[in-house]
Amino acid sequence: MLADLIESLAKIVFIFTVNVGVFAPILGWVERKQSAVMQDRIGANRADILGFTAIGLFHSLADAVKLLTKEDFVPANANKFFHTLAPFIALVPAISAFAIIPFGGRYELFGREINLVIADLDVGILYVFALAGLATYGTVLAGWSSRSNWSLLGGLRASAQMLSYEVAMGLSIIGIIIVYGSLRLTDIGAAQENFFRWGIFLQPVGFIIYMTCAIAENKRIPFDIPEAESELVAGYFTEYSGMKFVMFWMAEFLEMVTISAIVTTLFFGAWHIPFVTDAMLLSWFSGFAGPNGAAALAMAVNIAVFFAKVSFFIWLQMTIRWTLPRFRYDQVMRMCWKMLLPLSLINLSITGLVVLLL
Amino acid sequence: MSTTTGLGQSPYSVQVGVPAAVLKAKKVRRRLDLTLWEKLYVAEIVRGLVITSKHFFINMLGFIFPPAGKKRKVFTVYYPEEKLTLPSAYRGRPVLVAHADGSEKCVACGLCEKMCPAHAISIVAAEKAPGERYPARYTLDLGRCVYCGYCEEVCPKEAIVMSDEYQGLAQGDRNLLRFQKEQLLRPEGKVKTRLYFVRRIYSKWNY
Amino acid sequence: MELLIFYAFCVGAVVSALLMVTTKRPVRAAMSLVATMSFLAGLYALLNAHLIAVLQLIVYAGAIMVLFLFVIMLLNIEEKEGKLAKNVFFIQLAGTVVVGILMVAMVVVMNKIGAPVAGAAVDETFGTTKAVGWMLFTKYLLPFEIASVLLLAAIVGAVILAKRRIDNSKA
Ligand code: SF4
Ligand code: SF4
Repeated sequence: MLADLIESLAKIVFIFTVNVGVFAPILGWVERKQSAVMQDRIGANRADILGFTAIGLFHSLADAVKLLTKEDFVPANANKFFHTLAPFIALVPAISAFAIIPFGGRYELFGREINLVIADLDVGILYVFALAGLATYGTVLAGWSSRSNWSLLGGLRASAQMLSYEVAMGLSIIGIIIVYGSLRLTDIGAAQENFFRWGIFLQPVGFIIYMTCAIAENKRIPFDIPEAESELVAGYFTEYSGMKFVMFWMAEFLEMVTISAIVTTLFFGAWHIPFVTDAMLLSWFSGFAGPNGAAALAMAVNIAVFFAKVSFFIWLQMTIRWTLPRFRYDQVMRMCWKMLLPLSLINLSITGLVVLLL
Repeated sequence: MSTTTGLGQSPYSVQVGVPAAVLKAKKVRRRLDLTLWEKLYVAEIVRGLVITSKHFFINMLGFIFPPAGKKRKVFTVYYPEEKLTLPSAYRGRPVLVAHADGSEKCVACGLCEKMCPAHAISIVAAEKAPGERYPARYTLDLGRCVYCGYCEEVCPKEAIVMSDEYQGLAQGDRNLLRFQKEQLLRPEGKVKTRLYFVRRIYSKWNY
Repeated sequence: MELLIFYAFCVGAVVSALLMVTTKRPVRAAMSLVATMSFLAGLYALLNAHLIAVLQLIVYAGAIMVLFLFVIMLLNIEEKEGKLAKNVFFIQLAGTVVVGILMVAMVVVMNKIGAPVAGAAVDETFGTTKAVGWMLFTKYLLPFEIASVLLLAAIVGAVILAKRRIDNSKA
């Protein structure tokens, strides 16, 4: 009992530190720096501590200090309760979605079976969808409660967009679920031990649809019409400042990490290195590290591989964000209902047919 | 237009803009309706991603292994450390040109004072010798100057020219912006390129 | 521990349901309903019905209530509150009657099924996606299909109604 508690606490603390402590602040820096490098610029590099700039990393620190000391502004006519509640509703799903994502395999360490996932739920991926559905409220309430036209329009756009893309996103994932026969992400991850059974080879269309829908769900460019700054100032979080603004900002970045993690798990072999199975890793390491050391090393390799893949997809999302222009609102809606939804339905029926026949 | 920065302390020479020789007209397809291939989006998006990530990786390589001595691909200039050498058409602070002996070329004819649309110049004329005028005081209020360059254009003696100085044009105190003759005098060598430029440009109108 | 969580969810569900009925502001009512749904989902999860819990969140809390909120925000009903005050008595009466009938029906059905055996051992696979799916597509296939046809009819009807309005406005 106690060991269980310690194990899950350790996993929670690990994921929390990686997400909130490492990814969230660093992604702000990555966003600036990567856009700069892509556009033949240099990017933020002036914030320094004792003349030491650390290639601009201190800008995140400066941001944090600035935002924490800012006035927490609530517009005069705003609904104070919901105005305060909205950022929390936006942030909590983003943080807790990572609970079901496996970042490594199942190993025996000192006689205990350790599964590198916080909660191995039977409903698996559906849990993420449930949280994504709840995250919509954060956006919608933020838009509504601010009593500002920009915010309201942003909230309306967000609710319509997120609702629509949730449908196509769900359908695009069903193909993968049919292929691997499980909703459990650990099962799906374990099934991709063989390189040629990676999701991307079995469900390439599903991958494209999921990626598109996920970016739309996260409201990043090219789907950032809810916060289109040229039309709506900042959309649903126009009236937010200080800590509450940071929460929206962090929610966006964490959601990006979650999307990358899900894409990795579903389509890109989760924690596996191509052509290397977990058993092979164990047998290699046990040559010089003993059974426990081998398990620990294999875990470390799993985690490293998993987060390397996650980092790659974060990079890909950033590249997409700094490459494509924003869609128009009607284009966004048409793309969802008239392109992605039929496409995912076709993909689903073909997958079902093939699985049935084989 | 292509210029290079003054080297200063920086190890780089920075190329700004695209050299004129490289600028070529590119053929653009004018049809507005998309082909089926383009309507599929995905391929076109990938094409765009390839272009941007090509820039990303080339620049990343440049950051990790800075190409010594070679031209940088990045356009950003580290301003206080690196400075651009400005094109001679740039109109910075108007300055007075000095003779080799340090005295001003200006003969206090008052044309610039008359011409200045912002009334930035005020001259007190005096005579060194009978018939040889000089400005006893020459005040240029840079708080009023609009950097139009009319003073330079009208001056019969090439005594006032627009330099490439752009630092210190803003001050907290307006009195600091009222420049006296002694602060404005520059040796002729410093403004030579501008002088050549002025001759070339204004000779077109046959003054 | 489990009992504590159960009671917490129960109290939450009842309180937010009451809030939903009593509050005069549409958005507040909608959000209370969302809270009720979430608490219910928690109760389902406690009963080992994880799939139902998650579906409750996705479908009701996630999708349908967002649509409600969307409509409320779009119409900005806030100003119209209190307009129904005239007929409020009849509405209350009708509500009481309907709820009463439902209550009676529920009691009858419950009696027929019989009280659940306290502490009955739950099957290992109970509530898993596989078990629910199996049930849905074998034993309860007909009700399932009928329900989906019903929903389809509703969707088609909505589309037809919406379409006709647009045509009229154009003409
Ligand atoms: S540049 Fe124009 S405004 Fe400035 S001093 Fe000369 S004439 Fe006057
Ligand atoms: S126009 Fe030239 S010569 Fe005449 S006063 Fe001005 S600076 Fe001196």
